[in-house]
Parts: sequence; C-alpha cells; structure tokens
Amino acid sequence: MLRNGPGKRTEGQRGKHASPAALFQSIGDAGLPLLLYAAVLLFDVWPMACILFRSLRGEGGGIGLAAYAAVWDRYLGPLKNSVTTALATAALCTAISLACAIFLSTRKKRARAVLRALVLAALVSPPFVSSLAYIQLYGRRGWITYRLLGISRYPYGQSGVVWMQALSFAPVSILLLLEMIDRTDRSAVLAASDLGAPPTRVLTDVLLPSALPGIAASLLLCFIRSAADFSTPMIIGGRFSTLASEIYTQLIGYADLTKASAMNMFLLVPSVAAFFLYRRVLKEDRAPSARAAQASVPLPLARCGLPGLLALAGSALFFVMTALQYGCVFLLGFLKSTKGVYSFTLQNLERLFTYSGTILVRSVVYALLVAVFGSLFAVLFAYYTDRRSIPLRSFFSCSATIPYMIPGSCFGIGYILAFNHAPLKLTGTALIVIANMLFKQLPTTTKMCSSALTRVSPDLERAARDLGGGRLSVIRDVILPNMRGAYLNCFIYNFTSSMTTAGAILFLIDPGRQLAVFKLFDAVSSGEYPMAAMLATAITVIVLSVEGLAALLIRRPQEGT
Amino acid sequence: MKKKLAFLLALCMALTVLPFGALADAAAVSGTMKVVATSESYMTLFDKFSAETGVKVELLSMSSGEVLAKLDAEGGSPAADLWFGGGIDAFMSAKEKGYLEQVEFDAAAELAPLYKDAENYWFSKGITIVGFIVNNGLLGELGIDAPRSWQDLLKPEYADEIVMSNPAVSGTNYAVVNCLLQQMGEEDGWAFFNALNENIAYYGRRGKDPMNAVISDEFAIGITYIDRGIDNLVNDHDVEIIYPSDGIPWVPEGVAAFANADNTAAAKAFIEWLYSNDENLALLAEIDGKDSVKAIKPAMEGVELGYDTGILMDVDLSLFGQQRADILAKFEPLMGEKAVAA
Repeated sequence: MLRNGPGKRTEGQRGKHASPAALFQSIGDAGLPLLLYAAVLLFDVWPMACILFRSLRGEGGGIGLAAYAAVWDRYLGPLKNSVTTALATAALCTAISLACAIFLSTRKKRARAVLRALVLAALVSPPFVSSLAYIQLYGRRGWITYRLLGISRYPYGQSGVVWMQALSFAPVSILLLLEMIDRTDRSAVLAASDLGAPPTRVLTDVLLPSALPGIAASLLLCFIRSAADFSTPMIIGGRFSTLASEIYTQLIGYADLTKASAMNMFLLVPSVAAFFLYRRVLKEDRAPSARAAQASVPLPLARCGLPGLLALAGSALFFVMTALQYGCVFLLGFLKSTKGVYSFTLQNLERLFTYSGTILVRSVVYALLVAVFGSLFAVLFAYYTDRRSIPLRSFFSCSATIPYMIPGSCFGIGYILAFNHAPLKLTGTALIVIANMLFKQLPTTTKMCSSALTRVSPDLERAARDLGGGRLSVIRDVILPNMRGAYLNCFIYNFTSSMTTAGAILFLIDPGRQLAVFKLFDAVSSGEYPMAAMLATAITVIVLSVEGLAALLIRRPQEGT
Repeated sequence: MKKKLAFLLALCMALTVLPFGALADAAAVSGTMKVVATSESYMTLFDKFSAETGVKVELLSMSSGEVLAKLDAEGGSPAADLWFGGGIDAFMSAKEKGYLEQVEFDAAAELAPLYKDAENYWFSKGITIVGFIVNNGLLGELGIDAPRSWQDLLKPEYADEIVMSNPAVSGTNYAVVNCLLQQMGEEDGWAFFNALNENIAYYGRRGKDPMNAVISDEFAIGITYIDRGIDNLVNDHDVEIIYPSDGIPWVPEGVAAFANADNTAAAKAFIEWLYSNDENLALLAEIDGKDSVKAIKPAMEGVELGYDTGILMDVDLSLFGQQRADILAKFEPLMGEKAVAA
C-alpha cells in the first residue's frame, strides 16, 4: 500500500492540501497520545495524588501531619520489622540467586536449558505457594520436619518469612544475574585460565565482578518487593507483623483510609529511593552485550575452592527446595488427612469445579483483556514517548513508572480513594480491576516495548512517511508489524501477572468479580490448605498452557522465513 | 428481506420477554443477586432460590467486619445486594450508617423479636455459639491439659498456643469480647483480655481461621464457633470440642438487604422467600449444621433446638452495635503491643 505513494510528495505539500484522509490521520495522531496521556493521568497520577492528600488530612479535616505522627508512634515496631526483613531477604535472595546463576552459566547447553526452564516455571507460580508449602513441609507436623526428622518445630516468625520471601523472589534475580554473567566475555575467562589463574581466582576475579551491577540490582529489587509483601508475614508470620501486613489488617478491619494512606507513605519513601538507585545502577552498566552464541563458562565449580562449593550448595538448596515446594503443593491438592493419615481424594478437584469454575473462567477472561489491551497500550505508549517528540513525554513516562516503584497495597488503596465516589465511581466494577492490573504491569511492558523499538530503525519510519504514509499508517504498517514479537512478549507477561499477582487487586475485589488469586489468598490465609493447593495447581496449569500456546504462535512465523 | 428479518427479530424479543415479564409480576425480581456470605456452603440454598425465581446468584465469602470496612472504604455504596451471615454487631452498625434497606413482609411477625431489628432492617439466620477446639496431639506433646473455661486460657502453659480471630474482622470473636466484657464488667473484662493477649499466638482474620489452625496441627487451642460441622471434626482429626464452663458467648448471625444496591429488590425477595417457607429454613439449618433457626422462628416445625438457650451467657444484645466502635478502638492497640515487642 505504501509502495503506491508517489515519491515526490514532501512534508510541505502534505500540509497544504489536506485531504479528508490526511486530516483523519493527523487528528488521530494527535488524539492517540492525548488518550494515552489521559489514561496515565487518571489511572496512575490521580490515585497517587489521592493517597498523598488523604494521608495529609488532619484530624479536624484540615491539612496536617497527625496521621503520620500516629503511625510513627504506633507502628515503629512493624516498621523496623519491615526494614530488617527486607534487608535480610535481599541479602539471602541475592546470595542464593548468585549461586544459581553461576551454576547455570557453567552448565553445558542442554542442562542449562532445562534448569533455565525450571527457573522460568518457578517464575509463573502463583503467590502464597511458598508460604503454603512452608507450613506443610516445615511446620509443626511438617512432612520434612516432623514426619521425616521427628522435630515438632514452631514455624511462625521472621526467619520463615525471610526464607520464603527469598525463595519466591529468587527466580527473577537468577535470570537477571544470569544475563549479567552471560555478558562477560568468555575469552576473558579462557585468558585468565591460560595465564595460570586457578579456577577459584577466575571465579572471584573475573566472573563475580562482571555480576556486580546485577547483584546491586537484585538487592534493591528484593528489598522493594519484600517491603511491599503483606501476604507472607500474614500467613507465616504468626505474631510477627510488618508495616505491609499491618496496612492490610487496618484496611480490611477498620477501613481507616487516612491511617492506611499515611502508613503507605512510610513504605513508599524507601521503595522509591531504592527504585532510583536501581535505575542508576542499571544505567551505569552499558557494556555492549555480546550475548549471541555464548558458550557456557568453562569453569569446574567443584575445583573452585570455597566460593565454588558455596555456589554449588546454594543452587542445590534453591532447586531442591523449589522442587519440594511444587511437589508438595501438587500432592496436597489430592490428599485428605484423617487423624494424621493421608489418603488419596478427588474431593478438592470436585470442589474446584463446583465453587471455582466460573471464577477461573473469569480470571482467564480478565487476564486476556489485560493482555490484549495492555500490550497494545504499551506498544503505543512506548512509540509516542520514545520516538516522537511530543510535549511532556518525560513527565508521563515517569508517571507511568509509578506503579512499579510502589507496593501493591498502596496502588490498591489509591484506586479505592480515587474511584469510590462520583463522578469517577468505579469501585465495584470490572473496569477498576482490569485497569488496576493493566497499569500495575504497564511499566514492565512499556520497557519491553521500548527495547524492541530500538531495533526498529527510524529510517524505516521516515521512508514510509516520504512515500506518503500518514502518521497513523506508519504506526499500523511499520511500527505494529515490527513490534509483533514484543507484543507477544507483553501479552505473555500481562497474562501471567494478571493470573498470579494479588497485591493491589485484593483490595478491589467484589462479589461477582472474584478472581482465582483472591480465592487462593483467602484459602491460604484461612488455613484451608488442600483447597488452596488445588487452586494453585489449577492456576499454574492454566498459565503454563497459555504460555505454551503463545510460544508456539511466536515460533511458527519464524520457521516460515 | 431486511424488514422481514427485523420483524422476526422483534418477534423473538417479544416472545422471550413475555414469559419473563409474567414471572417478574409474580416475584418482581430478575437478574443477578450478589451475595456476601460467611461461607460458600450456602450455595445449595441459593441454588434453590435460583431454581424457584430465576435470579442468578453470585457469592463471595467475607467476614462481617470486612464487609463493613469495605462499605466504609467505598463510600457506602454496596458492592453486593444481600448480606448473609456474620455477627449482628456489624449489621447494627450498618443500620446506623444507613447502609441497610428496610424489608417488610408478613412472616416477619412470626420471628422472635430478640433476634431481629425492631424496624426490620436486619434479621437473623441462626445463632453462633462460641467455645474452644483443642488439638490432643499437641497438648499431649506439651504435656498440658485442655482448658475448660475462659479463665483457664490465662494459664502460662498455653503461651503462644491459642489462636483467636481479630474481633474487628470476625463477628464470632467480637461476640467473645463483648459477651465477656458484659459478664465480667469493664475493668475485669479488659484485664482478662490483656492477660489473654499474652497467650495468643496470633490473631486470624476469619472466624474459621482458629479452627483451621488447630485441625491442621499447627496450634493447640482455637477459639471457635461450634456447630455440628465442628462437632464432627473429632471423627477426622485428633481434636476435642470444649464448651467453656464459665459461660458460652453467642451472637445472632444477621441477614439484610443493602440499600442502594444494584438489585435490592432481589435481596428483599430472598429474605421474604427464606423466612416464609419452613422448608427453606430447614435446608439452611441443615447446611449450617445447627438448629438455632428454631429459636429465631419458634413456630417453625421439623427442627428442634438441640440445646437449652439457658447455657448461653446472659447479655444485652443491643449493646453489641452500640459499643462496637469503642470496643474495637480499645482492642486494636492491645493486640498490637505484643506484635511490636516481638
């Protein structure tokens, strides 16, 4: 279609003789970014402003810091718990992840692919699974602690929270660190060995330094996620509570939105600070990535002395514990305990279909909606903010990143505050749930699209314009086809996150809009472990099959060319 | 051709509307009724309602305190049409705040006045009674005896072994707090809960959390509602149910229609449907595993109350709603102090 356009036309000419079609193109081109901006304002900026204003509401209704003072007085303990837990989790998770990443990078091709697939599978697991398995495996009547080792151990408290958070955050950190190590030039490793460096020195002096930016990023990421996580402390913390879990209790028990907002501001500050640090760390790392066809790192870990052994032990710990977790959760769904004796049952599967059939279907539908529209939004948003010099673009792309930095509870409360009264009354609708998921995931999908956009040459765009293509045609005929891969990646990410993340939407669920993750959370936190296990298994199966389907779709056209 | 099609379409629409229109005249309800209930097991009851009226039902399980908090948070506009079950205190507060709809129907006159609102804003579907569930295995391991009374719970050997739910969320546990405060008096009552707090392992959310913690062998003692389902747990689990010797706290479980809901009409129709037909009440009693509905509608036949209401603590029910905000405001920091020290 573009080929038909006469090459003679130039910018100036197009402006003078605006045909109806061209008019449509330029109006659409102006309207689209306006629409995107409006959506970001409404669903990102406005809810955050609401939290800020609400937290500043004084006792008499004026402006004041009373809420902050009250929170500081009352919640200093949970605040300290949040900080110590986040620090410990960040350290432990990064250590385990580093061990796994080193282990994976030194594996041969096939073993590495299998292990990497395992890590990816752990990534899509529904939340709360680790807490659920923790009680089953290491609790007072835990399969391992009690039945195997005969120990009746009190499992509730901070150490359990730290371990389970570290284990469930590890897959992301492993992939991050693996990518960092992959960027190291293999010849540097070989050169060091040839020059006579013992394997231990190669590991500590060549491999580890290359992973440093990744280590920093992993530490910060885990810190943010741990501080925001309210479900793990709630389920396995016992009397141990963090600020995030206290926020949840405040909200569901007392509906004190002013206090909850102020509590969220306390969480917000360290998270935002950590985010900017994280960005700086990643920005400094601009090493050219020579990732293509990287062989495994030729390093025998067993002969790397203490560091090598630690890496082996750390990765063994991760893979064994993760495998135990999934095995335990899968089994638990089909077991029935009668006075401590287990027998096989299909009762939970039946209950899943009777009580949760429609809920699972609804979850899939919502997740698909978020995936379809969220990914399109991300492609367009990335295009307009990266490629086109439209006004205020840095403000808006920064605003769209807000949900990434803040705890899920914060984003959820923001939505309640922003949309619980006319004229923007959205509470109780499907829209609020879908919008919340979409915008919570937008920072990541936009980032995915931005990096894909860098591979679409601006010349291609200019060529299409010179050939007479309107602005919208360029998007349709040049940008979108080239972004197909990115779109599918966003689609998968959106779908998976929508099915498995529960942070913000737990606050927005209503009868008639129940989702599987909510139900899972409810079952786990109420102690209905077998039912929870069955739900977790169902969610994992759904997500993995949709991902498999999508992966097949991506692969097919590539085979054709 | 097009005209013919349009005509056919119109005819089809008219035909489908007609029978529904006729039904709507009889029951005046249609569409979907959204319900917040304390358990999903009520679905069989709602299925019966659906079969008889054509109203579809969607159910979300939520504690009474949670329902009230959500209403407050969302500016009073309800996300559901019917509120089914949960401590009556939350229903009383909700009435004060104007969240509930008045439901007038003939059978309301047959309900015992103690268990319903004088102005018909809320009704009861049963009575929750509260006692303990204990795990024999864990008690044996610790070498201690089961508690027999509320006072027993204060013994130091039970430290970190008792699970209770947050009274702000769970109506059952709010009933424990209010009833014991009424029985012991303000001063002694608060001293009791301060001391009890020392032994509480953690405060769960829902009324059923403590029971789940005990049957999964995680904790030795749970403060729980008691019904036949709980009584039957002794068959599958190494647990014992204990009726405290120094009084049994109790609370009616509310039923109400939300004001300004999407389908208030259906909720009102449901309430009338439930109380007007003893068969429906009997089904409810069966699901609930208790016969307390007999106390609520004394004229009802086919169900006998299994116990004498005399075993219940002698309390003034009207204080449940009145004192709710004050009691919870006092209880909240009490729960937290230990958590902060931990």
